[in-house]
Amino acid sequence: MSTTTAPAAARSPRGIALTAVVILAALGIPLVANSYQLEVLSEAWFYVLLCLGLNIVVGYAGLLDLGYAAFFAVGAYTAGLVTLKLGLSFWLSLPLAVIAASIAGVVIGGPTLRLRSDYLAIVTLGFGEMVRITVRNLSVTGGASGLVGISRPWLFGYKLNSIGSYYYIFLALALLAVVASHRLERSRIGRAWKYVRSDEDAARAMGINHATIKLSAYVMGAIFAAIGGCFYAAKMTAIAPETFTFNQSLLILLGVVLGGRGKIPGVILGAIVVVVAPELFRDIGSMRMLVFALSLLLIMLLRPAGIWPERWRWG
Amino acid sequence: MPLQEILLQQLANGLILGSFYALVALGYSMVYGVIKLLNFAHGDLYMVGAFAGFGCLSLFSGWLGAGWAGIVPSILLSMVAVGLLGVVIDRIAYRPLREAPKLSVLITALAVSMVLENTVLAFTGGQFTAFSTDLGFAGIDLGLVHVTYTQMVLVGTSIVLMVVLELFVSRTRYGRAMRAIAIDPDACRLMGIDVNRTIALTFFIGSALAAASGVLAGVYYGSINFFMGFLIGLKAFTAAVIGGIGNIPGAMLGGLLLGLLEAFGTQIPGIGGQWKDVFVFAFLILFLVFRPTGILGKPEVERM
Amino acid sequence: MSLGRTTRGVAAAVAALALGLASSAPARAADIKIGAMVPTSGSEAPYGIDMLNAIRMAADQINAKGGVLGEKISIIPGDDACDPQAAVNAASKLVSQGVTGVVGGYCSGATLPTLKIYGDAHVPFVITASNSTALIGANPGNAFMINSTGYDQVKTAVDLFKAKGIKTIAIINEGDAYSADLAKLTRAAWEKMGDKVVDYEVVSKGEQDFSAVVTKIRAAKPDAVFWTAYYADGALLLKQLRQGGYTGMIALGDGNNSPKLFQLAGPAANGVYCFSNPTANFLPSAKTFTEEYVKQFHQQPGPYSTLSYDGMMLMAHAIQVAGGPDKMKIIAALKATKDFKGVAGPISFTPQNTLARSNFVVLIGQGGKWALYTGPGAPKMP
Repeated sequence: MSTTTAPAAARSPRGIALTAVVILAALGIPLVANSYQLEVLSEAWFYVLLCLGLNIVVGYAGLLDLGYAAFFAVGAYTAGLVTLKLGLSFWLSLPLAVIAASIAGVVIGGPTLRLRSDYLAIVTLGFGEMVRITVRNLSVTGGASGLVGISRPWLFGYKLNSIGSYYYIFLALALLAVVASHRLERSRIGRAWKYVRSDEDAARAMGINHATIKLSAYVMGAIFAAIGGCFYAAKMTAIAPETFTFNQSLLILLGVVLGGRGKIPGVILGAIVVVVAPELFRDIGSMRMLVFALSLLLIMLLRPAGIWPERWRWG
Repeated sequence: MPLQEILLQQLANGLILGSFYALVALGYSMVYGVIKLLNFAHGDLYMVGAFAGFGCLSLFSGWLGAGWAGIVPSILLSMVAVGLLGVVIDRIAYRPLREAPKLSVLITALAVSMVLENTVLAFTGGQFTAFSTDLGFAGIDLGLVHVTYTQMVLVGTSIVLMVVLELFVSRTRYGRAMRAIAIDPDACRLMGIDVNRTIALTFFIGSALAAASGVLAGVYYGSINFFMGFLIGLKAFTAAVIGGIGNIPGAMLGGLLLGLLEAFGTQIPGIGGQWKDVFVFAFLILFLVFRPTGILGKPEVERM
Repeated sequence: MSLGRTTRGVAAAVAALALGLASSAPARAADIKIGAMVPTSGSEAPYGIDMLNAIRMAADQINAKGGVLGEKISIIPGDDACDPQAAVNAASKLVSQGVTGVVGGYCSGATLPTLKIYGDAHVPFVITASNSTALIGANPGNAFMINSTGYDQVKTAVDLFKAKGIKTIAIINEGDAYSADLAKLTRAAWEKMGDKVVDYEVVSKGEQDFSAVVTKIRAAKPDAVFWTAYYADGALLLKQLRQGGYTGMIALGDGNNSPKLFQLAGPAANGVYCFSNPTANFLPSAKTFTEEYVKQFHQQPGPYSTLSYDGMMLMAHAIQVAGGPDKMKIIAALKATKDFKGVAGPISFTPQNTLARSNFVVLIGQGGKWALYTGPGAPKMP
């Protein structure tokens, strides 16, 4: 869990030790937790994956995306259709979801290349809604009832059927997403993203093709969400359009900004807070979302750049 | 029903719906124009406005009746109350973040929206509240289309409010200050403009407009609930963007255009209610591809 | 801020979050804990709160009479927010809190993934509103649906339309699993009989302006309009239909049977038909229920309040029959339920754990409230 912006922590023995302890603790949780806690933490790891994916678009490339749930839907529905309608193995849905998400990423990215950030907001929002309404209206996607009875996948001769196994699946996905984000951030394309983010005109003058760079950010973010979506479908065994609303997109964006966009540990933290905090307030009953919203407001006021922000000044 | 009549009726439907969108979009656009904030809580101010208006009308209807005599003061009171609420929200939630990244303020606005929704949910138990008035269904027949007096008052009120606002922004000192802040707040500060006060005024007006349309919606549709601001907030945002966000006549045009698109979209065979929203968003995206700054927006260089 | 401090701060925050997750609401250990899984936040909260009220009321009445087998019942609400993931969290939390049974289930889409969770824990689950046909196949055997399924409602609707000499209909739904399912089944049944559906519309939830749809319907001139979603938006629709000059028959699905419809729609709701499980208002057995409900909550019961009340009563009855909080015995007792006297009519189950009879009746709006329709095409009363 290290970034270019905090190399000292990454290389220091303390940083490595802390990371190791966190991972070991995460691995050991199923030994002590009950199934409710595992459900919530699985969801948290799942959101870490989604938020890190959106962080590529919002954090690294500096583009606003209010329709990210659409890519999550693309993945989930690909998995559902591949296993239910085509009767193929779940694992085959992963490459297909990646292809579908890449196409979706280009479709949404294409029209947005010339737009300012606020127009970007409405285009991505519109795209998200269009995807949701389309899967709601088509009969092949099960209409408003969605797809039911998605079979659970087998891995190494073991059927992934318990919450424990999904806990580890989502933990593994989250760790993969961390490693991938880390590598991407430090790669040539990662630097190009940040360059376009800080000064698009200068980046273009330096010979960076801003269109390709922006599109690649959307596509890469889409792939993260699509892979997550596949496993979400496998875990829930039923998916419906109501999961992929505008609110879902906002929640993922909330995780990214709350934690500190552009910074991997921050985004991880934000994702966990977004999932776990409403659960903490569950016992308050019907006021829980109010308490959640108030705490959210407080955090944003105290730490406007996120709980654990990147050391880059967002203007 | 002959086709001509259907189209005329849909035109009327679209204009009435559109004037609601326009009124909410105005506030959205105004706040955006001045501090570049997409105020996600704007739709919720519309909702709070409807409830405030309902509360006032319940009080007034005893001696003023539930006709326009009771409704007009309710609208005015609700506008003042929600306008002040808007100023308070700005003071507590947005002003401390004036120098913060734009996206952070966006998320703060989201939090404010959740706070407002869930507060009203807690107070009303989530119940749908009947907003009953004495307004009848009387009206006049314009050719083939029946237009009620209520509808005429609605559209009339919207137009008057929009014209007044446009005059205010273009002709008065405060309006000039608003426009100046939109261009360069730091320079304004040096020139002796009280920036925070002007922004507070912007919030007051924008929120009051949202409240006005909230009460009008309650009067017109007869039912209010804690969630009613969500969808219209989304629509108003869309309308503001179509019109060119930050531009007042643009927001008005965008609202009317969106209303018309929805009405005619419903009528087009093969699209209907089912695909209406896809049609609207597809139109919007294509429109923005060819005219990236909306109908009346000006091109501008900026960064997020 | 130095990195070390930040790191420590974050670690502390994570630890606090984790600890918080571990704690749970204190309920008296001796109580029989019953989960009430309904949406109490989000856009479906109004309906969920109606159900929770009724469940609480049933539990209070049971406790006032000394509880079940001498033990008090305590209700633990589980907010599913009408969202599958939130429902899964709510369900597993209820299970980990050691509930003896669960009553509720409003959004079919959210109820569906919880079936497996309750099934794995062998928790008896009385489903009081969700009635999508998808639930039947996914039921591991511990869930019991006391609301009739969509098929029964469609049959009631088609029978009424036929008896009324209706030739063409328009169907409007809200694009959620429940209302779209009902709309689709009705269209299929209607077209199978060779009749025409002249307009099939989907409107967005929370939309207030139906004028465009109303104009389209007037142009299509159907003999009847069938609204399959809920009362809050339904009230606006039928008001606008009447104001827009539509004079044909209007029929509403069972999510509209709340007396609140009349508050929102006013006189426009008179003469409107509604397919419904027998609601409290006119059933003599339910008169006391309604009075009590209004007294306690200062509002009329919602569309699924009666069934939720019955669900809680049925659960208590099954615990009584089972002789204690043994979950397997309670499931067996539920399965063996024979003509349990609910406020909304007797309850028995099919081998698939669905309600053994169609409990649908036809209501008609008269003088600002629902009355039982007994004219041509009305089903026989239970």
